[in-house]
Amino acid sequence: MDLTLIPADVAKAHQAFASALAAAADLDALMRLKGEYVGREGSHAAGLMDLLKTAPKEQKRELGAAINGLKNAWEEGLKARQVELEAAKKRAASLASQWDPDLPPPLPARGAQHPLNRLMDRLVDVFRPLGYHVEEGPETETEAHNFDGLNIPEDHPARGSADTFYFQEHSGQLLRTHTSPVQVRVLKRLAPRIQELGGIRFLAPGRVYRKDEIDPTHSPMFHQVEGMLVGHGIGMHHLKGTLSYAMKALFGPGAEVRFRPSYFPFVEPGAEVDVRCPLCGGAGCRVCKGSGWVEILGAGLVHPNVLSYAGIDPTEWSGFAFGMGVERTAMMVSQTPDLRLFFENDQRFLKAMGGLD
Amino acid sequence: MLIERRALQVELPVLSGMGTVELSETLASLGFPVDAVESKDDQTVLEVDITANRGDALSHRGMARDLAARLNSELAPLFHVPLQEGAALFPVRLESEACPCYATALLDLGGHGSTPKEVVAFLSSMGSTAKHLPAVDASNELLHRYGHPTHAFDFDTLQGAVIVRWAKAGETLRTLDGVDRKLTGEDLVIADERGPIALAGVMGGDATKVTAGSKRVLLESAYFDPRVVRRMAHRHGLHSDASHRFGRGADPAMAPVARDLLAARLQAWEGAVLKGAWLAGALPAAPQPVSLRGATLNRIAGETLDLGEAKALLTRLGCQVEIRENALEVRRPSWRHDLSLEEDFAEEVLRLRGFDLIPSALPPLEGSPLPLSASYLQARNVARRLAHAGFHQTVTLGFISPEADAPFAEGNAAEGRTLGNPLGREYSVMRASLLPSLQAVAEANVRQGAREVKLFEIGPAYRSTSQGPQEEPVVALLWAGQVGGEDFLTKARPVQAADLLGVAKDLGAANPNPVKELAPGLLALEMPLAALPQIEDRIIPRFAPFSRFPAVERDLSLLVDLDQSYGALVEATEKALREAAGAVFQSVGCVDVFRHKSLPTGRQAWLLRLRFQAMDRTLTSEEVDGWVRQALEAAQGLGAELRA
Ligand SMILES: [Zn+2]
Repeated sequence: MDLTLIPADVAKAHQAFASALAAAADLDALMRLKGEYVGREGSHAAGLMDLLKTAPKEQKRELGAAINGLKNAWEEGLKARQVELEAAKKRAASLASQWDPDLPPPLPARGAQHPLNRLMDRLVDVFRPLGYHVEEGPETETEAHNFDGLNIPEDHPARGSADTFYFQEHSGQLLRTHTSPVQVRVLKRLAPRIQELGGIRFLAPGRVYRKDEIDPTHSPMFHQVEGMLVGHGIGMHHLKGTLSYAMKALFGPGAEVRFRPSYFPFVEPGAEVDVRCPLCGGAGCRVCKGSGWVEILGAGLVHPNVLSYAGIDPTEWSGFAFGMGVERTAMMVSQTPDLRLFFENDQRFLKAMGGLD
Repeated sequence: MLIERRALQVELPVLSGMGTVELSETLASLGFPVDAVESKDDQTVLEVDITANRGDALSHRGMARDLAARLNSELAPLFHVPLQEGAALFPVRLESEACPCYATALLDLGGHGSTPKEVVAFLSSMGSTAKHLPAVDASNELLHRYGHPTHAFDFDTLQGAVIVRWAKAGETLRTLDGVDRKLTGEDLVIADERGPIALAGVMGGDATKVTAGSKRVLLESAYFDPRVVRRMAHRHGLHSDASHRFGRGADPAMAPVARDLLAARLQAWEGAVLKGAWLAGALPAAPQPVSLRGATLNRIAGETLDLGEAKALLTRLGCQVEIRENALEVRRPSWRHDLSLEEDFAEEVLRLRGFDLIPSALPPLEGSPLPLSASYLQARNVARRLAHAGFHQTVTLGFISPEADAPFAEGNAAEGRTLGNPLGREYSVMRASLLPSLQAVAEANVRQGAREVKLFEIGPAYRSTSQGPQEEPVVALLWAGQVGGEDFLTKARPVQAADLLGVAKDLGAANPNPVKELAPGLLALEMPLAALPQIEDRIIPRFAPFSRFPAVERDLSLLVDLDQSYGALVEATEKALREAAGAVFQSVGCVDVFRHKSLPTGRQAWLLRLRFQAMDRTLTSEEVDGWVRQALEAAQGLGAELRA
């Protein structure tokens, strides 16, 4: 372009146009630049038009062509930049309402059920298909329910104040030392209807108390799940079948059970029940002390005296009962090293060990 | 109980061919789990767990007896030459039925000889130190080997007679452990004419004990009533080897035998000279037979067992058995006090056969199952809902300190909930509320750096009544710290009481208890589970018609005083709207509170949302405008004004 007829200041401005255009970062800046170069008044273009009016006739043609060239260059430049800036603005507007899907989303609050409660709930679920319902009993019990009705002799050491917590003002009342008094309560309550019911079967999960100091394997309060079935012709094979089913449902198909003779006053025969170590599958590990078996339940056939005490005829009815230590099982399954963790209730422990259903 | 492998093998020679692991497994399968195996000097010692019903197994001979029955092998013969029962050389009078027989012997001690070193080693395996007094060490050895406790008195300290009688109140006795014991009428004692010289079956007296200077001994080998011995041991806190065995039932037939063995040892070890042996009282009559019916045995066993096989097994245990038609007539051996019902004998048959042989079957379902109780389902559902709402379920001890309990126990006397024998003061009161326990857990979590603490517990709260402590199941909630601030959409803010109230309302509490601030920022609420809705009997409730016409919502922005009661305002507007619009009026509720310095001093802005819907038509804006005006007028009556 021939700029010989163009005033020096405008020529200089033209030289600066490209960089000024690039420097216009948004539409407002571009509009200001537009006013400066091609605006109706006071712009470089307006000044050139005034110059053209007063130019000598012989120069008009040449000057006119130069001015048009400049104006066209400016307008095209401005238009192109405007399109660019408008597109950028539109893109920014659309991005402003979008979030990168990789940003961490807000999560619904997540709490946890206590692992001991989850284990007890699971046991209820395991026994429900066999027709067991849930019975609850109070923590405050009488000697009659906690001991007498369970064939526990009057001078049994467990009745002593070294083992059992008694209330100060109501000396006949105590904190139950096992969930077995629920047996006595339920048998007594259902005894009048036992023919109509065709037997009794229930599970009783709950908290129990024994006078143990708190240490890594003892707590003065812990949980048990009691199970009981009364029917016709019930024998040890029924106990074995029921516990085999339950342990498999709880620990998986490899969970065999083993019975060893033992003694509890409220059953006869009595047995300790071992389950094939769920952690090593029986090969031997730290949890099972190399034996491949872990003791998990006490069980047996209901002692005739327990049925008689509740008003059920032991010559017609027979049954079995079993009791599981919830903490012991939970510790074994999870390999939790210290019982106190279950009662410390650190939220991180609860989330990791209990979690949600 | 400690069992020395070598001594066990002496009683049952067949064990020499059995490894210790196999022996442990065999013992466990008989009901005697082995807790530990230790090598002491050159001896293997097993620590065996014996259940409380098996007093007969508390010795090497007793344990060998069960093993012999299981292995169908013979016990080694007892090296025993029975002494001739002669005339009493010293009066022995039995004045209580708690001691039916008392075998005794009088010996002059030789005084030249001592306890053999293999017996010293055996006692050491038993965790006991030899006294190098043959009369004492032999008695101790016999107890561990054969299970029958015996005692030797220094005969020259005795006065007049040996009498087994109930103590008289006020009598005292210094026992061998040097403790002076006050006696009661429930203590059975051995006495001479001056007074008590031993606590029967529990411990001898200090004044009549055998010493290095003793010249003559009177032996005691008796049988005492287990219940009497248990009570005495318990009352005096004196759990000796003797009381442990007599308390669980000794073998009365062993009384003369143990005396004979003791006398023979004194003769052999120190050249003692027997002056005479005699028996006071009489051995108890043989136990009555019990009928074990085949049907009972088969029911318990879960299969049909051959009565001949059952008879053979029981015979091996020392029972006398006759087959009578479809039953066994069984007489227990004198050492098995735990066998009295036919079930007991059935268990013995299964135990000897091995519990592993018991078949496995599910019992038939005879009746209909009962439903899960509403209270159980409710507690379970509440726990699940709260866990999904972000709360962590805790398990805390039911007893707390009286100081922690008191602020939550208004009108609920702590005395009626207090334990008489607590682990300590801090664990002495059954709590009136779960909140103090939750507070302690929350504070521990905060100390561990938790930004937000959300806890709940379901359990009984205790109330004192004249009948004793009563339990009421409650749910306690605690929320503290910062809510939100964990993601780019939710701003962090401190937890408010309203947050907790919302949770309670969501659980269905119609009028939740007020939120308590247990400590700054520690908000908590407790309510009985009974205050929450229970599972409905109907799976789906009765149908209620609903409107398919559009609902109209209007927002009313009101300027009210900062201390305006929301309840009063809502009550007034609801009343006006019910009067004006009737059933068309649906609800009014505050959806925003605005507090800012641009508002007039002492005022705030509440945005009320009113909702209308008719069952039968679309509402017109004119009628709605009219109702909104009525609501506004009601609010103005309480000092509210429309915010411009
Ligand atoms: Zn293992």
